[in-house]
Amino acid sequence: MATLSSAQWRSYSTNSFPPSSSNGRQNNHRLLSLSSPVLRKSPPAVFCLQQSQGNSRPNVVLMEDGAVVTPVNPAQKKEAAIQKLEDGLLSSSSISTEELKEAAGFDVNENESSVSITVVGASGDLAKKKIFPALFALYYEGCLPKHFTVFGYARSKMTDAELRNMVSKTLTCRIDQRENCGEKMDQFLKRCFYHSGQYDSQEHFEALDKKLKEHEGGRESNRLFYLSIPPNIFIDAVKCASSSASAASGWTRVIVEKPFGRDSESSAALTKALKQYLTEDQIFRIDHYLGKELVENLSVLRFSNLIFEPLWSRQYIRNVQLIFSEDFGTEGRGGYFDNYGIIRDIMQNHLLQILALFAMETPVSLDAEDIRNEKSHTRGGVTHPGYTDDKTVPKDSVTPTFAAAALFIDNARWDGVPFLMKAGKALHNRSAEIRVQFRHVPGNLYNRNIGTDLDQATNELVIRVQPDEAIYLKINNKVPGLGMRLDRSNLNLLYSTRYSKEIPDAYERLLLDAIEGERRLFIRSDELDAAWSLFTPVLKELEEKRTIPEYYPYGSRGPVGAHYLAARYKVRWGDLGMEE
Amino acid sequence: MTFTTHFSHCSTSCNDNSKLFSSSSRSSPAIHYRFSGSRRLCRYRINSANGNPLKALPSLPISESAADYDYDDNVETGDSHSTLSITVVGASGDLAKKKIFPALFALYYEDWLPQNFRVFGYARTKMTDEELRNMISRTLTCRVDKREDCEQKMNNFLGRCFYQAGQYSSEEHFAELDTKLKEKEGGKSSNRLFYLSIPPNIFVDVVRCASLRASSATGWTRVIVEKPFGRDSESSAELTKCLKQYLTEEQIFRIDHYLGKELVENLSVLRFSNRVFEPLWSRDYIRNVQLIFSEDFGTEGRGGYFDNYGIIRDIMQNHLLQILTLFAMETPVSLDAEDIRNEKVKVLRSMKTLQLEDVTLGQYKGFSKGGKLYPGYTDDPTVPKDSITPTFAAAALFINNARWDGVPFLMKAGKALHTKRAEIRVQFRHVPGNLYKRNFGTDLDKATNELVLRVQPDEAIYLKINNKVPGLGMRLDRSDLNLLYKARYPREIPDAYERLLLDAIEGERRLFIRSDELDAAWALFSPMLKELEEKRIVPELYPYGSRGPVGAHYLAAKHDVRWGDLSGDDS
Repeated sequence: MATLSSAQWRSYSTNSFPPSSSNGRQNNHRLLSLSSPVLRKSPPAVFCLQQSQGNSRPNVVLMEDGAVVTPVNPAQKKEAAIQKLEDGLLSSSSISTEELKEAAGFDVNENESSVSITVVGASGDLAKKKIFPALFALYYEGCLPKHFTVFGYARSKMTDAELRNMVSKTLTCRIDQRENCGEKMDQFLKRCFYHSGQYDSQEHFEALDKKLKEHEGGRESNRLFYLSIPPNIFIDAVKCASSSASAASGWTRVIVEKPFGRDSESSAALTKALKQYLTEDQIFRIDHYLGKELVENLSVLRFSNLIFEPLWSRQYIRNVQLIFSEDFGTEGRGGYFDNYGIIRDIMQNHLLQILALFAMETPVSLDAEDIRNEKSHTRGGVTHPGYTDDKTVPKDSVTPTFAAAALFIDNARWDGVPFLMKAGKALHNRSAEIRVQFRHVPGNLYNRNIGTDLDQATNELVIRVQPDEAIYLKINNKVPGLGMRLDRSNLNLLYSTRYSKEIPDAYERLLLDAIEGERRLFIRSDELDAAWSLFTPVLKELEEKRTIPEYYPYGSRGPVGAHYLAARYKVRWGDLGMEE
Repeated sequence: MTFTTHFSHCSTSCNDNSKLFSSSSRSSPAIHYRFSGSRRLCRYRINSANGNPLKALPSLPISESAADYDYDDNVETGDSHSTLSITVVGASGDLAKKKIFPALFALYYEDWLPQNFRVFGYARTKMTDEELRNMISRTLTCRVDKREDCEQKMNNFLGRCFYQAGQYSSEEHFAELDTKLKEKEGGKSSNRLFYLSIPPNIFVDVVRCASLRASSATGWTRVIVEKPFGRDSESSAELTKCLKQYLTEEQIFRIDHYLGKELVENLSVLRFSNRVFEPLWSRDYIRNVQLIFSEDFGTEGRGGYFDNYGIIRDIMQNHLLQILTLFAMETPVSLDAEDIRNEKVKVLRSMKTLQLEDVTLGQYKGFSKGGKLYPGYTDDPTVPKDSITPTFAAAALFINNARWDGVPFLMKAGKALHTKRAEIRVQFRHVPGNLYKRNFGTDLDKATNELVLRVQPDEAIYLKINNKVPGLGMRLDRSDLNLLYKARYPREIPDAYERLLLDAIEGERRLFIRSDELDAAWALFSPMLKELEEKRIVPELYPYGSRGPVGAHYLAAKHDVRWGDLSGDDS
């Protein structure tokens, strides 16, 4: 399989696709130019340590292949020892961390560097519901380094105690392990502090810096800023944080959440502005869908199972469907949404990211840059047929709350295979899934036994991201009994029956990855540019023409336009079939 | 060796009155409607065995009054003008009582039998019709999931059962049977099916008498025979030759009841009606195939027959080899019996003849556990003390064709093992250049995909895949994509005999073994079996209830295979 190594890739500065036919298709796709070769700082080795001894749990040892560790400071002897440990871990996963600790004769957590995590916008919804609980979960599982501090930063006046009080209301322990939960919570809260300040005030960030230094106590300091704030103050906060509160001796990283602009231009402007203060490898653009268990598993499924990879092409796959639905509307929070719409909110990022992971060629390695290279390679080839469907929204707003789109990838593997996306709010169910419909069996011996509807007789692989994580493969099977009647049955893997452990929230994984410098699940600037360049022309056209979306009732299965779009490409939505 | 003498009788009794049996069986119905009165649904069965064009088959609801109506394209089977007589020769035997009569009743209960059918028992014992009915009634059961009218249906069924006593080699007695059959047939066009549930040494006698004296004059006559079909190439060829003096090939229905098992039937469906499997079905992706049969009991006082055959002849050369050919065959031209059997024969003829070093043997020995003593094979009073008959065998077979060159097909069959099961395991190759190699630890064998078809017990299909263990970090393990029949299909699965009897009645030969298939199957095994006996190879002993002799592991290791059923994560 032709893969593009990092080195090769970086030698391309620009690349343009030949203009395709003019019937509504995009005319020009410019592939991003890449910034200078990325120099990656090395993350410190971080181990999750189970606090209660004796119970060696499967996730105690982290074995991210991508986290290649090279000592930051060769003068530190312990770093070298850790390196050895890491090697040991990679070569043999059966040795428990406890054994390793003993073998090395010191506590791996006794690292002189510290990590400060500053949540900018600490009083917001996301911070309360997701970020603090995720940090606590990581702490509970022993995944945070020994010297860590959590800072809340926001405009409201608050004391440390008030912040702790606020945070404590949303902390929970895993359902399946509650021991020492109260005690752990107290310990965690003690490490939480608050600093109030304006988002655009250098002075206030300087004050934060002082406070951070105090807690770091002269150790090597690493700082992570989580920007949980509206996009219009991103740049201000980044400017202040980088110029006044960057770590003096360790790394400084900034996590940003969507929206990353609302089209190519605004996204490019944002990136440009961010890059005035940060280098590429300091920016961690989060797409929390990439932290979902089954999205992570997508690559495992493809690349570690012989039976799937041969089928992963236009030769066997008829179409791919990426489906997202929510069973509630904007519910009074439509202000932000109305400015973006469902395409920007879900499709251009979450679904497109999953598509890229699904369709990419085999990467050189699991290294972040290799994977992201393959993803942007994939993205570069996607063309939009210029027909986006079916949007709905009340009053005089023409902002779509539902959209379906057909995308195509013009490469050898995927030529002609429709990738259908569908995303909507206020639908009949809440789900996110990937459906892979395989082709018909050529010259099927059992055609007579299947009846007239050949579509019913094709295989389908379904990866259900949420809720109730599951993987199943629809196969044709003989109905037991006399005679020969076929029907579709499922080869099933339901996570809740197979894995009794609670699945960690996507934010836990992503926060941990950011702390470890693992970039695999974060979005690189060029990926972002490519993603926007796919959607921007259509979004512009929609807005210029004020295309009116089709209405659908709250709680319904969405507008029928989605079926017509699918029918145009000879596709049938898998989630609305009779059997589902 | 002792056995061939049984057939010497045949050559003397063979005479020139060949082909007296009518051979109209070729024209079995193409379409066969049956209406189940209780559910008012049209159940249909498609028989494409003889290439007749198939009609569209709408599911018609029909009126209650027509519920008992049998529609048939063909005059021969099922309609009110023709009759069907099923004669079970050896009616007082175990198989007849446990399997054949219950299967016939199940077919009747589900309305699969034609309207005018009768069942005759034939054996040496003196018995009245009433006594036969009494005997049969004890083993009849209704399906667990539908018991309505069960009692009444049983009585109706028993009312159609009759008995005729007679010697197996007496033409006179078969002539009497013929008279009785004619009486019940009442002058209508008659089809006759004989089920030979008798020891192999009297096969030919019965066939001779039945064909000469009790063939149908107006319809078809078919004979079902069960294994053993000889004990090597020569004796099998001799048996076939003798049978063919009285019967044509298409009158002979050699039953292998494993072919009637639900999951064996499903094997072809899985392969040929799913796009996701066929591309993987070759040496490019499949590392090895394992066919495993085990019983958790020994001969238990019935070793007399077994001792003369051994596990290779009893299980491998027929059941497992049949499954292997179905698994490995090329896509047939159609689902017609002849097309399928042609492909199966091609597989057999492409196979490498078994050598002694491809086989490992075992015999179970006594074992006491928890105060209970489990007897060894030679402790069985019906088995000679110095018997070296294998009760366990493992073998490696190879198919020398483009699809399967170099892929080991491993078979394993044994009695008195720790579990009772029959399954097919397909182990796929390693992922080349696996990106996740580090996440598996050292045992790459653990990281290959495996497709398992469990034929019995608890029918299931599952595909072992590598999956990320949910949670932080990246650890992989094997999980199953599962299809457990019990959970998916609440209906009871019919016994293999039901399907096979019905097929024989309908003239569907797909699941029966053709003479040339049988020859080819014996040709693979005969030389090795001969050598075993000549050299008196002593089997490795293994304790009753154990996992079998370790020799099986060494045989597998020789071909870089690891038995899937003993791998620890699967029990």
